[in-house]
Amino acid sequence: MHRKKNFLTYSSLLLTGTLMLGGCQSTEVKRVDSNQEIALSDNWNAKDSQLVAEAMVNDMLTFPWVNDHLKNHSSKPAIIVQSVRNKSHQHITVDTFINDLKRAILRTGQADFVANSSIRAEIREERKDQELNASIETQNEMGQEQGADYALSGTINSFVDEQGGQRVTFYQVDLRLIDMTSNREVWNGQKKIQKHQKRSRFGF
Amino acid sequence: MKIHRIISLKQSLYCFFFILLSGCNVTPANKSAILQIEQGQFNEANKTIKQNYSAVGKNRLLYELELATISHLNGDYLQSNQHLTNAKSHIESFYTISVSEQALAMLSGPTFATYEGQKYYLPLVHYMMAINFNALAQSQPSMRQIHLDSAQVEMKQLDVYLSQLKTNTGGYSKEQTDNSLTDAIYKILQPISAPSDLLENIEYKDDAFAHFVSGLLNEQNSELDAARIQYERANQAYSMGFTKQFGLANETITLSRANLARVMQLAGGYQNELNELLDKHPSLSVSDSPQLSIIQDLGIAPEKKQFNLLLRAERNSKSLIMYPVFIGTAREKREQQHWFQMLYADTSLFDMMQNYIMGDIGDVVLGSVTKRIPLGSLWDDAEEIGLIDALEYGGRISVSYLAPPKLPIRKTEVWQGNKKLAELTPFHSISQLALQQALANAQSEIRVAFTREIVKALTTQKAIRAAGADQNNLLGSFVKIASTAVNAITASADTRQWQSLPAQIRVAQFNIEPGLQNLTIKTTLNSGRVIQQSANIDIQGSMTIWHTRTFLNAPVNSQ
Repeated sequence: MHRKKNFLTYSSLLLTGTLMLGGCQSTEVKRVDSNQEIALSDNWNAKDSQLVAEAMVNDMLTFPWVNDHLKNHSSKPAIIVQSVRNKSHQHITVDTFINDLKRAILRTGQADFVANSSIRAEIREERKDQELNASIETQNEMGQEQGADYALSGTINSFVDEQGGQRVTFYQVDLRLIDMTSNREVWNGQKKIQKHQKRSRFGF
Repeated sequence: MKIHRIISLKQSLYCFFFILLSGCNVTPANKSAILQIEQGQFNEANKTIKQNYSAVGKNRLLYELELATISHLNGDYLQSNQHLTNAKSHIESFYTISVSEQALAMLSGPTFATYEGQKYYLPLVHYMMAINFNALAQSQPSMRQIHLDSAQVEMKQLDVYLSQLKTNTGGYSKEQTDNSLTDAIYKILQPISAPSDLLENIEYKDDAFAHFVSGLLNEQNSELDAARIQYERANQAYSMGFTKQFGLANETITLSRANLARVMQLAGGYQNELNELLDKHPSLSVSDSPQLSIIQDLGIAPEKKQFNLLLRAERNSKSLIMYPVFIGTAREKREQQHWFQMLYADTSLFDMMQNYIMGDIGDVVLGSVTKRIPLGSLWDDAEEIGLIDALEYGGRISVSYLAPPKLPIRKTEVWQGNKKLAELTPFHSISQLALQQALANAQSEIRVAFTREIVKALTTQKAIRAAGADQNNLLGSFVKIASTAVNAITASADTRQWQSLPAQIRVAQFNIEPGLQNLTIKTTLNSGRVIQQSANIDIQGSMTIWHTRTFLNAPVNSQ
């Protein structure tokens, strides 16, 4: 009788435990601020992109090339982003990083951006279309584009050191700004990020 | 009367066992899917995987891997990479061992646990992703650079993984000899029953082929320094044991060395190292002409199957004995018998002596078809905890084995018009790799299976006692028979694997003129049948890569 009771007690406990564990697998989704960092891993994330872009642009604008340009020209410097190559160990959407760079520069109001070659080609097609279809007052003329004064390019590199459940990831972003008239490198910036991830070997 | 009834029950139970076991080697869904792909039925293969595996279930890794291969072979490289990215994420999450799941597996069977794959899967995931990016670079010229950079990202991740693997295993830093420390450790750890040299040097400790492909991709992307490092690693691993371990061609060593010399020359600044290499290998020729590397994935990796053993306690000799039950086609039975004799059977002199001491002379002869575990003084303890009673009706132990890899290929060549350009030779053997992993895991697998079945039998025994179904009455016997049957059903071996992998990878590399070139790969089977695959390849820069998969049983008009 006693054994029977014990058996029933253990069975009930096991069943309750199983049900409780089953209940842990529900999905929950909530809206969060896009500026809030949610780091689920040591991967390059949106916050890294934003912080690196802001820090590098702040550094870039402290160099003398901006004042030198304003002394010699009547307009703000125009920059074109040539390429930022991802040479890291991780798939990084370089376009979003470039957009963060552009936003950071435009926010300072000290420089302008010139569209890159593929966008320029699209705009030229649009202007051609305007010549045929838009009224004369609203047409935009060909040959009035602003040329870029400076070209921005760079790379994203990374190193990884991993042992057991620990991993240290080091990202380095290198950017340079070239004067398109003289080919002088007027700015060279570097920003490093290091992340440490620990994983547990056992979990429930 | 009662005794007669119980004896007939026992006989019925053994019959029931055999019927149960005979139905176990069914074709897994992912094998069916790859056979459908072989026939060009991509939608059907996709459906087969989606119907049998789930993106969130215990087979979520296989779901992603198999769908990735289907998409890759169907030319949907972006979709394939999406699945492979998910697979990588799963593999990363498996680092943390779920204690609850391990407990569940111990009380049920390995097939009830999440499938976590093999340690050679991750390099193949990176390899396939890089090949997909390479194909995207060729098909989308405006995004060529971005895709080639992405292919290199995969190779960098692979490098991180292989560095860790080498740290853990020692890699191929020294040529393998019988006197190395690793060999000494193997000798201590290897099971007494396995042939003395069977389990030597079969560890997966580095991946020469992955380094080689990484070198090609780096060279293609003009990253000559990175290419140099990867070719150097490939050459070291191939020459220090990888080629021998997997039965590959000697071209693995000569070509990786030639590529190393070429990128040294192209990069500049390595004249001393290059001269040293040329002095050491006078026959080495360094070509600075554009190169085409053809990577041919061939066939389908061998299927993982299961075979069964009946575990019984023998009172006379105070031993536990495992009897193999060979079931299936005549060929499967032969394979099972060889696997058992190779790995488990009591065939060593030590085992024969044990059998002679513990059993009768018949067992000495029968040693090659049984595995005996003498309990000796532990027998009384085993009786006390109820183990002997628990095994009254026997227990089923199921382990996996790999069908012998067979690739009926006479030769594979690359032709341009009527001119033969090169012969493709084996640079990697996934079937050998899978077989060696299966051999390496066999001892721990049977040990775990054995322990699990004992735990299950004991748990059942305790439950029967707690429920008051006395083992000596007829009801107790029925309960016991039923629970033994349930345990037998759940005892299936884990035969899950990434089934759509190729059996072998061949490579050819040769000088070629830049521009669009029409090339044909001719694969000649042992039967004399020739499979032809043609493509227009745009040769750009110093290195171009063409990757293809060849199925040996594809319909003639589909190749």
